[in-house]
Amino acid sequence: MAQTAAAAGAPQQISVTDLDIPQLSDVRRQLEEELNHLTNSFAQLKQAQSKFKNCVENVKEVKPENKDKPILVPLTNSLYVPGKLADTGNVIVDVGTGYFVKKTTPQAIQHYSAKITYLQSNLDTLEETITKKRENLNYLLSVMQQKLAQQQQEGKPIQAS
Amino acid sequence: MSLQVKLQNASSEYTKLQMEMSAIVEARQKLDAQLSENEVVEQEFAKLTPENVVYKQIGPVLVKQEQDDAKKDVKGRLEFISSEIKRVEAQLQDIQKRSDKKKQELVDLQAALQQAAAKAT
Repeated sequence: MAQTAAAAGAPQQISVTDLDIPQLSDVRRQLEEELNHLTNSFAQLKQAQSKFKNCVENVKEVKPENKDKPILVPLTNSLYVPGKLADTGNVIVDVGTGYFVKKTTPQAIQHYSAKITYLQSNLDTLEETITKKRENLNYLLSVMQQKLAQQQQEGKPIQAS
Repeated sequence: MSLQVKLQNASSEYTKLQMEMSAIVEARQKLDAQLSENEVVEQEFAKLTPENVVYKQIGPVLVKQEQDDAKKDVKGRLEFISSEIKRVEAQLQDIQKRSDKKKQELVDLQAALQQAAAKAT
């Protein structure tokens, strides 16, 4: 594992073992920042995906069996008015940048499903990157510990040339 | 002492340039996000069938719009964003050059200052 991490972590740099401790902690800080950013993006993507999954579930409820059944429509958080589903064949979907498109329910489900798969592929690649980064960080930490132990053994701090 | 003053001026100019640069980078990222958002909408419009009615959100209301008009609108936006990206990209290159030059100036000044200090002792 350490070997793959070294190979992935240092393609354009010199080997991590050649750096001194202040440089190592700089690299560590940088890696940690990147990792943080990536995990945040991952969580956001996950959230977006579950929203779309909810949309699919909701659209499925707009079906002919539910026509003319009484429902409550939220006008605000605390104000609801009674209503009925008039059209169970079509929904209006937000496609972004202020545009909405009227779609049949199967079309809408297909639209959201496509979004979910698209996000899933993004999530997969992101997860891979995160694992790699984490491996790099672990490898870097072990190198740092080794260096620190070495320094302590030699009695006093040395400056790497 | 004038070297020191020069160094101070150069370094404050350099930080100013850095700040300008990060503002431009931010603008560039925003444009990128807008571009991909509009591209998604364009792809969505390409898949429409004639019975898919398109609405445009204006404030809190949805207004019916002809598909062709909506497509033209998005195309126009994409063109505008692309030209903006080109403009910002040129700006970025220009400021990168200026900031590199300033950096070199700073390094030179620092070296000169160190030399002067070494001579004085």
